[in-house]
Amino acid sequence: MVDVGSGLVAIGAGVAIGLAGLGAGWAEKDIGSAAVGAIAENPKNFGRSLVMTVIPETIVIFGLVIAFLLMGKI
Amino acid sequence: MLLPEKMCRILVVGSKDKLKETTELLYSLELVHPIDYLEGDEGLVIGSPFEEASEVSERLLKLRAMEKDLEIDEATNAPKMPLSDVVKGLEDSVDGLQTQVAAVVETKNQLSSRNAALEGEKVLLEPLTSIPLDLELYSGYDNLTVFTGNVRSNPEAALNALGDIEVFRSEGGEFVAVFVASAKASEAQRILVTNGFTETALPQGKGSPADLIKRIGEEQANIAKQLDEAKDKLSKLKGDNLSLILASDEHLSIEVEKAEFPLRIATSKNAFVIDAWIPNKQSEVVRSALHQKLGESISFEIVEVKGRKEEHHEDTEHDHDIAEDTTPVKMTSRRPLARFNGFTELISTPKYAEFDPTNVIALTFPLFFGLMVGDVAYGLMFTVLGWVGLKKARSDDWQTISTMLFFGGIWATFFGVFMFGEAFGLHFALRGSEMTWSSLLGIDFPHALNLGGVSIPLGVFSKLDDVNKLLLISVWIGIFHLFLGFGLGMFNLTMRVGLKHAVMEKFGWVLILLGMALLLPVIIANIGNIMGTDFGSMAFLIPLAILLVGLAISLVGEGPLSILELPGLLSNILSYTRLTAIGTSKAGLALAFNMIALQMLAPAGGIGIVFGILIFMVGHLTVFMLAIISAGIHGIRLHYVELFQKFYLGGGTKFNPLRIVRKHTSER
Repeated sequence: MVDVGSGLVAIGAGVAIGLAGLGAGWAEKDIGSAAVGAIAENPKNFGRSLVMTVIPETIVIFGLVIAFLLMGKI
Repeated sequence: MLLPEKMCRILVVGSKDKLKETTELLYSLELVHPIDYLEGDEGLVIGSPFEEASEVSERLLKLRAMEKDLEIDEATNAPKMPLSDVVKGLEDSVDGLQTQVAAVVETKNQLSSRNAALEGEKVLLEPLTSIPLDLELYSGYDNLTVFTGNVRSNPEAALNALGDIEVFRSEGGEFVAVFVASAKASEAQRILVTNGFTETALPQGKGSPADLIKRIGEEQANIAKQLDEAKDKLSKLKGDNLSLILASDEHLSIEVEKAEFPLRIATSKNAFVIDAWIPNKQSEVVRSALHQKLGESISFEIVEVKGRKEEHHEDTEHDHDIAEDTTPVKMTSRRPLARFNGFTELISTPKYAEFDPTNVIALTFPLFFGLMVGDVAYGLMFTVLGWVGLKKARSDDWQTISTMLFFGGIWATFFGVFMFGEAFGLHFALRGSEMTWSSLLGIDFPHALNLGGVSIPLGVFSKLDDVNKLLLISVWIGIFHLFLGFGLGMFNLTMRVGLKHAVMEKFGWVLILLGMALLLPVIIANIGNIMGTDFGSMAFLIPLAILLVGLAISLVGEGPLSILELPGLLSNILSYTRLTAIGTSKAGLALAFNMIALQMLAPAGGIGIVFGILIFMVGHLTVFMLAIISAGIHGIRLHYVELFQKFYLGGGTKFNPLRIVRKHTSER
């Protein structure tokens, strides 16, 4: 039987990655749509657009790291 | 190899009658990147095209018109044609071909317009078919007026009440033909209008409308046949002459380009001046080629050998704009490094005075890719796929992707064997009660390889069990990668503006990063017990001091904004944890598919085995495809975002020498 504390830690880990994912997605959607527009104007913008689009992805990695650290506590 | 090729700026001056020969020669050398002349106040003007330019352009224009008729576009492929045949073909057969095509196209157009006219007549005749009158009966009366057209409601009763009238209605009742004595015509018209009458024109001709429609149908069928014949003729002409047409187009385009070359250079009344960049190493080649072919009548002069240092103009802002470096950049890395050029170009061409980042990408990008995949089976599949791509792919984009897959696959296999010891997400050697290849196949895979007394471990880490260790490793990789970035930044700045600037701008950050790196073990040791940290120990104070000294240098060098960039550096370091995170997430996916396929379905036997194999294949294909996207994009992103920010400027002008690219013609 897992105790309540461990359960809360596990929920915390889930919340950390879930919300981080939502945040990253939210941030990325605007950049993504602008990037597609820029590429449609000039395909040469692909590289720069890709860079801009993936910048917020770091947020979700932070969430993932925190989740791992939390899971280590169980 | 590390820097773009050294360039020198040359001036070629000669009398105008030698310009043509000079142009031909420069095109054949493929070494000369001309600087387009902008008219200034030196008393020189932009040259005018060679006299054949207008004639050749006109021929090209006609040829292109024919290509449009024949539906030939740039993407069309055909066998190459020897240049001599093209020249002969242009003299003998292309004009005739154009006449032939034009004639067929003209016939085709006439047939189409006749067909359209017939179609219109048919539309007019159609309603008349339901009225039993011949066409000539609708006209030619002295005392009768005829109305034909559509009505919305039935006017028959009202019209008949007028007297001296004959009304014909079509079966549906929407079409009427009314014959009325001219005296009562206006009255009849009023009644018709109240019933929503719209008049339709009467077609010319004699006989029954149904017969006429039949005759039109026959003629149309005939036209369709002739149209098909014309189309066949066109496609036959296209098929027979495709090579010649494409080759002629290419040949004429080249001729036009050459003939218009004077538009890019400066000329006076009798002389020309070509201002251009050439690779410094080849300056003697160009000089001797010019003198051999044109003798002493041409002057060749090296104006400057371009250094890497930035020149500072302290005059006006206007001068500063001109100082913008437009020296063309010729990347010098050789294969296999040069295969990664595509990844650099995706962002931007390096500047002339800048380390070519392709070298770093070629070394660490496949490494990162391999680390994120870290699986023998996927690694081998990537290697094979990449190899096939490198052999077969034609477009530059696919070549670039294949390069990533091939070299990344090799590293993935390496890490899969030695670091993780796994294939398809399953470890080789026995690990407790975990499902492994050993337990599945009943073969005892070793934990280490014994080579002459040296034990090489096979599979040190488990992606799912040793996450914390792997996260730490990836942070260290990040720190070293960023050190590399700052180091290259210092190298670039030293080269461009001198050591002092480089130290002020980048060395501070190197110290900050060093401080952070040294603090890392302290933080790790006290994680979960921050309050218990011995803040007075040397292990804490020395790194902190280094960090603060670095921050001080940055504050002096770059101003107060550098404090704001401090968290940025921290997030850069943490960003490298994706190296582990992506590997782990894929291992988790693979584990799930393996459990479903091998532990839940396969042991059931019979149909379970079939479904097990199916799930296994589909599942691993999914993981494999995801690996291309995630490992590829995240691997390159670590270079573009985290690494490049530390040193890369980009925005250089690509070296684009005068040369002839032949796709449809061959010179032999």
